[in-house]
Amino acid sequence: MNPVLRTEGLNKRFGGIVVSDDVNLTIAAGEILGLIGPNGAGKTSLFNLISGVLRPDSGTIRLNGQAVNGQPLYRRARMGVARTWQHMLLFRSMTVMENLLVAPRHYVGESILQVAFGRRSVRAAEHAARERAHAILNRMALDDSADMLVTDLPFGQQKLIGLARALMNDGPLLLLDEPMAGVEGAAYETMQRVVRQEAESGRAVCVVEHNVSFIRDLCSRAVFMANGRILQDGPVEELISSSTLTELYFGV
Amino acid sequence: MEYLSTIGILIAIYVILAASYNLVIGYGGLATVAHPIFFAIGAYVSGLLAIHTSLPPPVTVLVGAACAMLASLLLAASALRVSGDYLLIASLGFQLGLLQLIKNLEFTGGPGGLGGIPATIVGPARTPAYLVIAALLAIATVFAIRALVRGPYGRAITAMRDEELAFTALGRNAMSMKLVIFAIGCGIAGVAGGLYAFYFQYVSPDQFEVLQSAAILTMVVLGGMGTAFGPVVGAVLLLAIPQAITFLQLPPSIMAPMQGIIFTVLVLVFLFLRPAGIMGHAGRRRRTAGLT
Repeated sequence: MNPVLRTEGLNKRFGGIVVSDDVNLTIAAGEILGLIGPNGAGKTSLFNLISGVLRPDSGTIRLNGQAVNGQPLYRRARMGVARTWQHMLLFRSMTVMENLLVAPRHYVGESILQVAFGRRSVRAAEHAARERAHAILNRMALDDSADMLVTDLPFGQQKLIGLARALMNDGPLLLLDEPMAGVEGAAYETMQRVVRQEAESGRAVCVVEHNVSFIRDLCSRAVFMANGRILQDGPVEELISSSTLTELYFGV
Repeated sequence: MEYLSTIGILIAIYVILAASYNLVIGYGGLATVAHPIFFAIGAYVSGLLAIHTSLPPPVTVLVGAACAMLASLLLAASALRVSGDYLLIASLGFQLGLLQLIKNLEFTGGPGGLGGIPATIVGPARTPAYLVIAALLAIATVFAIRALVRGPYGRAITAMRDEELAFTALGRNAMSMKLVIFAIGCGIAGVAGGLYAFYFQYVSPDQFEVLQSAAILTMVVLGGMGTAFGPVVGAVLLLAIPQAITFLQLPPSIMAPMQGIIFTVLVLVFLFLRPAGIMGHAGRRRRTAGLT
């Protein structure tokens, strides 16, 4: 069976800085892969390459076996690459619900012709999107905040909304960029639970995270990156206990 | 009466211009100063067609609007490929260059302007008829834009303006949305141009100088950028105030600088005290519309 995501010999450099050096990575359906490494290791750049924000200098990215290199960012999202951002990038002037409503894989409101002449299909699609959004918010116990301005929520809940927005895309791949940074308490528990549920439902999940206990709790497999290269790919416990990697990570 | 009706028609034309400029710059977040040139394209194309062909006037106005739309697509498709900031520079060049071309071509009448546009409506009912047509078009424009930005499409526009990268990564084609918004806004400016040409029967390049976009922008800012009725309030105020001053019967040497001073002071006062414009806080929640 094909893995959901497979990268083959992915290379990317900005001038003299190598952000991706022959990266070969696979993620299978239902798996939560941890992506760890020091700052500047190329973790976020790898997400940008996979989702289509950046174009690789060479190498192939396959989604369910199909090469997606030539596809721009928005098409990859429609093909099922959902992601979150380290800095959330929520739509600040919109409510929680509105943030989620623009996020389905296919959004009818995008086409002016459909809005003008396809009232019935627009209404049906809006209804379906609203149901989906409510279901996702419900899982996060945030249904009461649906009509709040997203910037009025506490930080941890904003992080959850970032995840909720990505979950509106029901595609096979979910990329989470530092979902736990600055998150604690109830939001932490919720984040952990929802990410686990998503994997159990068959999604391939990849998490960039500095919070080692989060990685340890959720992932069985992890990848350690430094200087754009994958140094080790294996069971989480093995990576964490490796003294060379700890040295690289903490500089001790 | 004739005088007041003409002011009414001018106000309606500027409501159309301000509302469409607001769609592009206030809602779409697309910085452009080329709005007067699309107004000009609409005016010249429909004027020329009226002179040289026997097409019915509404058709010539629509052709003029289509030409403005096409020209705007050419500008935006090339400029936006580079970046949003580039559109501002490219639009300035487009505005200045095309106006120079109009001033130097023979068939547009050159710097002297295009005269002899046939009167389509004759008799005493002419001015009231135009007033009704202009007012109806202005109302239709404002409400059509309002309908557009209220529904799912408006939600997408707001999201795009807030965070374009995240918006695109959700599967939204931001580039095509920007092109569509720009083309619609500029096409509407073309309609205003056609209306102008048919009412005044004479079109001069001086009416479409780049400074016109400052005037239209003032209307949008004053009324409330990114609000449906802001441009209406702005256009009415900015056209009515100078007319009201003329009743003071001041000598022209004081009048001319007075108008400039009043506009400048108004814009400054508004940007400091009420940056969201007159209609800015009427909405139920704060929305940061603007050039970000």
